[in-house]
Amino acid sequence: MTTLGTASDELLAGRAADGDTAAFAVLARRHGPYLRAFAIRLTGSSADADDAVQEALISAWRALPGLADRSKVRSWLLSIVSRKATDRIRARRPSDELDEELPDSDDSNSPEERAVAQSRLDALARVLASLPEGQRQCWLLKEVGGYSYEEIAEELGLTVAVVRGRLARARVTVIREMEEWR
Amino acid sequence: MTERSADIGGSGYTLDELSDYLDRGMSPAIPAIDDNAECQAMLATLSRVAGLSRELVSRDAAENPTIDEGWLAGLLSAVGREVRAGRDIPFSSSDPTTRLTITEGAVRELVRAAGDSVDGVLVGTVAIDGDVTQPGAEVAVAVTISIVPRRSARELAEAVRERVRSELLKHTELAVGAIDVTVADVHLLPSDEPAPGAVTGDGTTTGPAPRDEEEQR
Repeated sequence: MTTLGTASDELLAGRAADGDTAAFAVLARRHGPYLRAFAIRLTGSSADADDAVQEALISAWRALPGLADRSKVRSWLLSIVSRKATDRIRARRPSDELDEELPDSDDSNSPEERAVAQSRLDALARVLASLPEGQRQCWLLKEVGGYSYEEIAEELGLTVAVVRGRLARARVTVIREMEEWR
Repeated sequence: MTERSADIGGSGYTLDELSDYLDRGMSPAIPAIDDNAECQAMLATLSRVAGLSRELVSRDAAENPTIDEGWLAGLLSAVGREVRAGRDIPFSSSDPTTRLTITEGAVRELVRAAGDSVDGVLVGTVAIDGDVTQPGAEVAVAVTISIVPRRSARELAEAVRERVRSELLKHTELAVGAIDVTVADVHLLPSDEPAPGAVTGDGTTTGPAPRDEEEQR
């Protein structure tokens, strides 16, 4: 094993920008699970998520030489994943609801084993899974992706007013359902 | 479904307006919100659910930390097809009908490997400045490095400079002028890492076999 695994994101991104595929592989391993988890929540499909993350990383490889702030590589990668994932969502027919693959609260652990913090996250997972797909996507892009209303509108091909409306409804639901989980 | 949410705690501000306020970093300050207990509670709730949303994705990732090797291999083979060759650097040839070149990308790799071969050093970026396409034109090389703690930055930088210079002289015909080495970062050795095996080697380029960083000078 080389010492590359202990290098900072910034160093690895610099090497990858110079053409070092080994450094890029370390970045992909390091951030892949997070990017994939985000894409699964966003698309509701692990197959779509895998494709979106792979496409995103290929685009990232091309764009790395122009990346200004290499220390922010993870959030930059997340924004590319968002774009690729929303492309996939847009390409679907509106009737395709793919919620069944969403990772849900019910893993093997029994409720007794779970700490309160876990239950709280499980509760949120349930609430998000229950939201209409469009609301959930807007919510995740804003709260996890850190996108502005305008950026979300652009990503999803919607007007800002629609995004605002979806987020308003998602917010009411999330707050109401999470009330008991303070 | 566009009913206006009621204003919160008689502040005159709705839930959505509170959310916008939070997004703006609560600045400029709005006293009607800042001095209202119900608004404050709602702001706390809003930032709590936002934080939980991020935590949820982090937890998903922690529960599925393994990268599918087939998926990664597919990615790397796609990436490997897009080589960053850069400029062509000419080589003199005894045969006037042949034109020999080495790519800038290959020279960068050479510099990277030279720097990495110094114990306790990882090379970051490599810049080659000057008209490399012109035989004999002087070029400057700028390298950023990361070093392990507790080693002298000055000595390591000097070792990198020497190693890079000698490798370039050995393998290229570049007229190497200044070699700038900047220590930009610090990293630990794999043995210092609490969780080994989190990241593995990947067989492509570079990487000296990590030697013990004992006192071998």
